[in-house]
Amino acid sequence: MDRLAGRWIRIYIPILLFILITLFPFYWMTVTSFKSASELFDFNQSPLFVAAPTLEWYKILFFQTNFWHWTVNTTIVAVVSTSISLFCSVLAGYALGRLRFRGADAIGWGIFITYLVPPTLLFLPLAFVIRDLHLFNNLWALILTYPTFLIPFCTWLLIGYFKGIPRELEESALVDGASRWQAMMRIAIPLALPGILSAGMFAFTLSWNEFLYSLIFMNDSLSKTIPVGVTTEFIKGDEFYWGVLMAAALLGSIPVALLYSFFVDYFVAGMTAGAVKG
Amino acid sequence: MSTATRRVSGAGVSRPLHLRLIEREAPMGYILLLPTLLVLGTFLAWPFLFGLWLSVTSAELSDPGHFIGFGNYNFEFKIDHPFWTSFWNTFLYTGVTTVFKFTLGLSMALLLNQIFPLQRFVRAALLLPWIIPTVLSTLAWKWMFDPTFSVVNWVAVHLHLVAAPGPNWFGGTSTAMAALMIVNTWRGMPFYGIAFLAGLQTIPLDLYEAARVDGANRWQQFLHITLPLLRPVLLVVLLLSTILTFADFQVPFVLTNGAPYNSTHVLATWAYQWGVPGGAIGLGASVSLVLFPVLSIIIAGVLVLLRRPE
Amino acid sequence: MRLPLAEFGDSLFGEEKMADLEDKPYDPEREAWTRRRFLKAAGLVAAGAAAVPILEACGGGGGGGGGALTTGKAPVPRQGASIRLLQWVHFVPAADTEFIRQCTEFGTKYGVTVAVERITADQLIAKTAADVESNSGPDIIQMQYGWPHLYDAACVDVSNEVGILKSKLGAVASVNDAFCKVNGVYKAIPYTIVPNAFTYRTDLLSQAGVTSWPKTWTEFAAAAAKMKAANLQPFAQTDGHAYGDSLTMWNPVLWSHGATEVKADGKTVTINSKETRAAIAWAQNAVKGGFVVHPEWLDPDNNQAYHANRISATLNGASIYIREKVEFHHYDSVSDNGVVPAGPKGLYTMNLIFNHAVMKWSPEKETAKALIMYLMDKTNYLKYTDIAGGYNAGPFAAFDNDPVWTKDPKMKAFHDVVATGKWPGWPATPSKQTAQSQQQYIVADMFAKAIANGDTESAVKEAESRLQAIFSRPG
Repeated sequence: MDRLAGRWIRIYIPILLFILITLFPFYWMTVTSFKSASELFDFNQSPLFVAAPTLEWYKILFFQTNFWHWTVNTTIVAVVSTSISLFCSVLAGYALGRLRFRGADAIGWGIFITYLVPPTLLFLPLAFVIRDLHLFNNLWALILTYPTFLIPFCTWLLIGYFKGIPRELEESALVDGASRWQAMMRIAIPLALPGILSAGMFAFTLSWNEFLYSLIFMNDSLSKTIPVGVTTEFIKGDEFYWGVLMAAALLGSIPVALLYSFFVDYFVAGMTAGAVKG
Repeated sequence: MSTATRRVSGAGVSRPLHLRLIEREAPMGYILLLPTLLVLGTFLAWPFLFGLWLSVTSAELSDPGHFIGFGNYNFEFKIDHPFWTSFWNTFLYTGVTTVFKFTLGLSMALLLNQIFPLQRFVRAALLLPWIIPTVLSTLAWKWMFDPTFSVVNWVAVHLHLVAAPGPNWFGGTSTAMAALMIVNTWRGMPFYGIAFLAGLQTIPLDLYEAARVDGANRWQQFLHITLPLLRPVLLVVLLLSTILTFADFQVPFVLTNGAPYNSTHVLATWAYQWGVPGGAIGLGASVSLVLFPVLSIIIAGVLVLLRRPE
Repeated sequence: MRLPLAEFGDSLFGEEKMADLEDKPYDPEREAWTRRRFLKAAGLVAAGAAAVPILEACGGGGGGGGGALTTGKAPVPRQGASIRLLQWVHFVPAADTEFIRQCTEFGTKYGVTVAVERITADQLIAKTAADVESNSGPDIIQMQYGWPHLYDAACVDVSNEVGILKSKLGAVASVNDAFCKVNGVYKAIPYTIVPNAFTYRTDLLSQAGVTSWPKTWTEFAAAAAKMKAANLQPFAQTDGHAYGDSLTMWNPVLWSHGATEVKADGKTVTINSKETRAAIAWAQNAVKGGFVVHPEWLDPDNNQAYHANRISATLNGASIYIREKVEFHHYDSVSDNGVVPAGPKGLYTMNLIFNHAVMKWSPEKETAKALIMYLMDKTNYLKYTDIAGGYNAGPFAAFDNDPVWTKDPKMKAFHDVVATGKWPGWPATPSKQTAQSQQQYIVADMFAKAIANGDTESAVKEAESRLQAIFSRPG
């Protein structure tokens, strides 16, 4: 009995507290999304519950806006830019974590340093590049620019991962007559899969959430992503439409949340080697 | 290509010269780096160099300007007062949130590393703040800290934690800063937690067994096993998060945008203020570059710490 | 289709000027046709059939000075062109619907594809900046406040079009004029004004014994004090980094006490004056008496507080009143609107000002101009303001008697604040510097700080040094 009480004090109660703090805003968003406009501003009753739930905001979201388009756009952008980033980072991670050649260290540093470049500095010059490539209002503008902040982290994670795979495995394959490419494709990369998955989830999350580039490069309502579509269209003049804003915020995070609820353990496992060996 | 020839070629005897060349480590390394360098070069290095150039020019929107040396920096350092407020705010914001994210993240990781029911659900749930798009969660917080309809205050007042009507979050300079920090911590903590958890799971359990046999208590185990073995993860996460927090734009921009009276500007929002609404992009570029050398030094320091034991 | 008309000069059409047909919808195609007929028939066209272009030709020369291009020709849309227009999300959703409907109508009529992109006002700045920097983007961008001065080089000369509109619709409202005209050349076509007036609760005010809306700031402070004494909801105002409500409140307070940020020369900083101190003293006293000033409020906050019965008066666009009337129906019958009070040095107001610029990168400048002309056509524009319910006011003299102001007598205040409007930085002409000062909230911050800590001197000094920093930078 004492042991159980101890577990409650040491583990369960703190965990519950953490859950309370992390999830309260989500609870509040849910409640807000079901309140009518006048109930939102009525604090005479408890604001924590909905007196007369309404689906008005969800109806607006589904039938009067391009929310579905935004979701599709965000998905496309997140999937493709994540794939591109993974492709680049796997190769770069392998090169920098596995191969010895002149300049490898400097390049590794260089890639890492790119993290220091503030995005607020970049977006105006980037607009230039996007213009020259005729990509304004085109999902490719995002697909191509997101890797700039995804590749550094993914590469860094994968360098660590590749370093963690024993060299002997590849060397024995080489002795068996495999070429280096084959050794990489058939041995190193499969072994690095947990790390790749983890990096992929990280990249997917960041691209799903990106705001500034998407705001700048996308124009018409049909080509917006969720964070931009929601914030550009539901703040009207000097009124915030909290109900729709919160409904959209919730729905907009569900896909990623689902992804994590299935793969969170892989995500954790994948972070390990990279983080430790980094 | 048959299996036989592949065997021979693997030994590097009869393979064509160009194939053997690219399989040597150096050429192969460069080839593998090519896509990354191409992407980063086009969409990052070039705009970055352009930004560097802007910072030493008098460029305005729709006017390329001309070279003025350190004129912009001079203006910021000597004439533009809110710059220094923003500068120190950036450090304060990063420093305080990092301490909280670190401590809370570590506690979270230690808890999550225990066995308890619904483990996977709890892990995923605790990651939610990090998953939801920042602009949207920050807006939700803005609504929670609303001057008139703050649910945070409502709860605090009803739990008798504070006197009605509760703090005016965005009305005072220190409470506004605190609000920014709370939101940043809320959002950043889960990533620390999960990364630390990943680190914890690599620590062999037998180390703890051995320590217990030697009579070490939980605290001693934590101090002498967990912390040292976790050090690389701790440092790396600290490093990443410090960089990202230094550059954080969305949270301060959406929540306060410098109000009340320029007391909560950070460098990112101040740079934006000059560069975008003010149209002085040269000046804006110089403000956003000020941290670059500072950050480089911090990073070099952390990396040195990180490598020492190896 | 285009024919040179300018060469005929004004005198040739002197008589036709009499025919006042300004209400005819704008129709460049028909105009082009009539011009041809006109030329062929050498003046045999019946007056009244086609007076519009003639009028345009006459008035064209009036617009702007300097190197402004004024041919008097109305822009003609090119069939098959496609146009993108970027502007803010209107507070009244139906107004946006009507705006888009008119754009589409123009499109079907002339075989033009029109895309209207809408975005939150705050974000319009970032978007426009990126477009200007990359020299590409929508053909038409809504310019807020003094943007034409910031983005001068990226906007094309529309003096000709403004001239035509002036001849049809009369003089341009002075603030739109100041914002649109850069060095004597129109860089944007006046589009709209969002008037700002006080919305107040008649029931609460009369409970406190305030029988009419205060005419002066002194009366205003006294009324606020009465509200407090009666323990009723306060008068409250925004003073945060709010895009609209902080500026529209604190600039008029400053001006009506005789103070200004800079001299008319646009260089000499004048904020450090006894008039400024008087304005601050008024604010501090009003706050002591019961007026509540929120340094944390942004544009939506006073709306929300009003809808929630938390405050009894606040300065805002018509959105509060309209949303009460159209959506909530809680306090609309006990709400009324009042003009901004006057100070010892007169009555000043400030309103949100939007104008449309045709961007220099547009491949379809003529079509873009034609679209704006179509939207500014009196019949179309009046449909728009009618649906916006008084949230917008037209920027030309002809819109002064827009029926929207009389349809609901309570809207009168929103009409009345237009004429007294000034722009941030007044009396200096709008410039990059005045825009920067506005966007850094220097005046609003000065008041907020002085009210918060009572230290007038340091607030004034701070504002002065901020302004000096801005005005010392080369333009």
